[in-house]
Amino acid sequence: MSQLIGRPVARVEARAKVTGAARYAADAQVAGAAHGFLALSTVARGVITGIDVRAARAVPGVLAVLTHETMPRLRAPDASTGYFKGFVPLQDDVIHHAGQPVALVVAETLEQAKEAAGLVRATYDAEPPRVVMADAMDEAYVPPPGFDGPNDLTRGDVDEGWAEAEASVDVTCTTVMQHHNAMEPSVTLAAWDGDRLTVHESTQGVTGTQQSLAHAFDVPTADVRVISPYVGGAFGAKTTWPHALLTAAAARHVGRPVKLVLSRAQSYTSHGHRPETHQRVRLGARRDGRLTVAEHVTTEQMSRTEEAVYSPNAGTRVHYAIPHLRSVQRLVRLDLPTGIFARSPETTTLHALECALDELSLAVGMDPVELRLRNAATEHPETGEPVNWHQARCLNRGAELFGWADRDPTPRSMRDGGLLVGWGVASASHVAGGIPGGGGARATLSADGTALVQCGTQDIGTGTYTALSQVSADRLGMPLTSIRFELGDSDLPSAPVSAGSATLQATVPSVAAACGAARDTVVRLAVDDPESPLHGRDPERIATAEGHLFVRDDPERRDSYAAVVGRHGSPVVVHGQPGNTTALRSTGAVFVEVTVHPRLGTVRVRRVVGVFDAGRILNHRTTRSQAIGGIIWSIGIALTEHTLVDAASGRVVTPNLSGYLVPVNADVPDMVVEFVDEPDPASPALGARGFGETPSTGASAAIANAVHHATGRRVRDLPLGLDRLL
Amino acid sequence: MRRFDYARTSRAGEAVDLVAGEPTGAFVAGGTDLLNLMKDGAEAPDLVVDINDLPLSDVEVVGEAARERLRIGALARLADVAAHPRVSRELPVLTEALLATASPQVRNMATVGGNLMQRTRCWYFRDPDFACNKRAPGSGCPAQEGQNRWHAILGGSDHCIAVHPSDLAVALRALDATVHTLGPGGRRAIAIGDFHREPGAAPERETALRHGELITAVEVPLPRRGTRSGYLKVRDRATFEFAVVSAAAVLRMDGRTVRDIALAFGGIATRPWRSAAAEDALRGRRLTDDTVAAAGRALVAGARPRTHNAFKVELVQRALHEVLGALGDDR
Repeated sequence: MSQLIGRPVARVEARAKVTGAARYAADAQVAGAAHGFLALSTVARGVITGIDVRAARAVPGVLAVLTHETMPRLRAPDASTGYFKGFVPLQDDVIHHAGQPVALVVAETLEQAKEAAGLVRATYDAEPPRVVMADAMDEAYVPPPGFDGPNDLTRGDVDEGWAEAEASVDVTCTTVMQHHNAMEPSVTLAAWDGDRLTVHESTQGVTGTQQSLAHAFDVPTADVRVISPYVGGAFGAKTTWPHALLTAAAARHVGRPVKLVLSRAQSYTSHGHRPETHQRVRLGARRDGRLTVAEHVTTEQMSRTEEAVYSPNAGTRVHYAIPHLRSVQRLVRLDLPTGIFARSPETTTLHALECALDELSLAVGMDPVELRLRNAATEHPETGEPVNWHQARCLNRGAELFGWADRDPTPRSMRDGGLLVGWGVASASHVAGGIPGGGGARATLSADGTALVQCGTQDIGTGTYTALSQVSADRLGMPLTSIRFELGDSDLPSAPVSAGSATLQATVPSVAAACGAARDTVVRLAVDDPESPLHGRDPERIATAEGHLFVRDDPERRDSYAAVVGRHGSPVVVHGQPGNTTALRSTGAVFVEVTVHPRLGTVRVRRVVGVFDAGRILNHRTTRSQAIGGIIWSIGIALTEHTLVDAASGRVVTPNLSGYLVPVNADVPDMVVEFVDEPDPASPALGARGFGETPSTGASAAIANAVHHATGRRVRDLPLGLDRLL
Repeated sequence: MRRFDYARTSRAGEAVDLVAGEPTGAFVAGGTDLLNLMKDGAEAPDLVVDINDLPLSDVEVVGEAARERLRIGALARLADVAAHPRVSRELPVLTEALLATASPQVRNMATVGGNLMQRTRCWYFRDPDFACNKRAPGSGCPAQEGQNRWHAILGGSDHCIAVHPSDLAVALRALDATVHTLGPGGRRAIAIGDFHREPGAAPERETALRHGELITAVEVPLPRRGTRSGYLKVRDRATFEFAVVSAAAVLRMDGRTVRDIALAFGGIATRPWRSAAAEDALRGRRLTDDTVAAAGRALVAGARPRTHNAFKVELVQRALHEVLGALGDDR
């Protein structure tokens, strides 16, 4: 492996992004494109009794106003394609949640479409909605086995676990509805050519969106092309959602390409959100701190029309060595949009577990780092295989970097001037990979000495372009500047959705294989070519570097990719086959210092140390960037982010970045981030594991635990605002 | 987007005539609030008159030596006022309130006059799909029973409990500022205490201004030597956020006794809130935990909290302690 792997090279697309040359979905220029805008339901539950579109139609430039009466019929795509909505709007008169589309206006300009959408008048036979989870907890139910097996499962013998326990905690905590707020809102630009559909979409899964659209319109998958070269953040909001289907249907209806961009406000009901949770975590342990039993009951808000549970309790099930365990994942149906991925379903649940562990550390009188070390899993609790994550190293190194040894464990014991100071710790842990449909790849070497490497994956801002370019350059023995990497197009060899921290494991194996095979092919061409200085040499003894091929122990005897491919007369094209991808786990330890104003209750995060194990790090710069971003999300989860819903109307009252508070720069301290950086032998991705979501776990619990240390107050409900500390 | 007419003039009289002649006409200066309100559909003027060319941006000291006043042009940008040497030296409460406002980018655009005229952040007001007595008189007030953590505990009515969001106005209230205007009927001066109205039964009437009347300047008496002042803003994140609670204090001591004091509060009331009762509880007394606590009790005596904002009753008293603690450090 060359020195390229791991190097903190800058993003290969950085210049394009900062100069505006990068064309995002809404930047795509398609001749004759009209503009779409949605009108949304103002009631949360009921039926549409009438819809008056006359005023909207009368706006100059309006081409169509499509309602449930006039929208062409569409099939609801299967959830396996990444369409997580249980229905397609504008197909009947039933309203399932506020903010559901009731009309789609198409006009010559965006301003016309927007004005007309505001003039659509729907009347409803509305019922009072039910949107407050606390009022509906007695309706919680355990859904049938789904994505990850049974939603009520027991490992070992829980009664035995309790019998062995000498200390216990019983913690109930709640978390609130939160939204993604990607900088780039969702976009669809759909154009039909006969029965063939091309869609520029801001999506985290071009293949899934392609399949969703093919399902919806009942056309062959091959007749749908989805293009998404740049995505300005996805965070679970950018699989396929109704606006994409409706925009494509409108384009077909008006016989013109149609572009639709969700407004910020619309994005609070037009895709999913992180659902509100109620959790009860009970832990039992021996006096030496070793866990004997855990019972984790997670109850999440769900809509009326879906049933989606994606393993929120995974961290509790597998992160620690817990012999006896019960995990229950329940749902409560409310008149709200689909509660589903927002960064990750594991975020809020690991928060509860890590806070409960902090309480347990006090119950057994043990340092919280030591408690976690005693319970670190050495073999996977479900498979019995040795674990490949280094939790103890993360904890120990983090404690060293943070100076944890200086912590006085007594709450309210540490001060700085007039401020209370608290130190808290939590583990980070998240599934990495395991989404089926590993990506294929194609490498094309040209006579100009460059390589075009293609894979139908996505770069949702995480650095995929860069990491895969590094892998390509490394495998080929070319400079990074000779690699052109293409992704985000369903015409390319297909790859799975960029979710579940799965991208690296799904794409690196085939990219490495394609580039390795392309290299071997060119080496063979050289040794078979009488005109090559390498003619007749043993291919096994040929090395490649910086675009050259040379005899390993006689480096002056050399040829180049450009020359070999040039003499060959045509480009060398090699396909890499998709590999298998297994679900692995990336972990870490996060240490946080907070200050709390003793009189005003204001909490500020002052210092963060995160040490993470994501296997081999392919690019230290982009991976560090993910760690920082994830920790910032986690600060938001803990302290500020909250989508507020008006109980009477069922409508979001904070659908903008003024009402929905994401952390600003002043809320984010400088952070120390380190990686274990050792290859995981179980990973097919050169030893690298997926990482995107891991750092958004952990810090929120570390903050809550630090607030307890600072104040002696245990706040079990998020967000941990100042009003909870008065 | 709704169509509207746009006019721009460099003469104040013409600007007033233009707006006065159009029932839904509106002035625009920095545009940091009006444009958002228009995009959200909470305001829909048929005519927008751009006043950025009016010669109203100066910040100057006027009046004779013993009674100097700071005259702040209505179009002075918040950032420029905060950086003015006489302001930062002699009126810390004003500088601190300004620097706690919004973000540097907003402060570079937003004007003093516009800041006094900004509309509430109440989400029921800002979303035209909700009922709101302020936006659509008589339609109702969902905040009374709804999401009201950010709403007023003082100065509200059954018709409206929306908080006035300005930091600047709270500081000006503590400084006994005067608002100078030019209207269809000529010039007049309005004491800041008479400028913002409580909602009562007519929450759509927010200020003493008549339609078409334009703020031209704000005058602040420069404080006598020995006056201390400060502004404390408590909010849910470190910056770029409106106050949950804020407190402005202007204080003159006579030895260890409070000679004179002005206290104004933000985040808790439907208009920038001055509490004479709290001031009376401290004037002529020493600043002790007991006297400050008594002032705090006087401040919230008439408070009427709703479902989610009862914490403000406690928080504002603590904010009072905190701001006075920072000023009266010799107690």
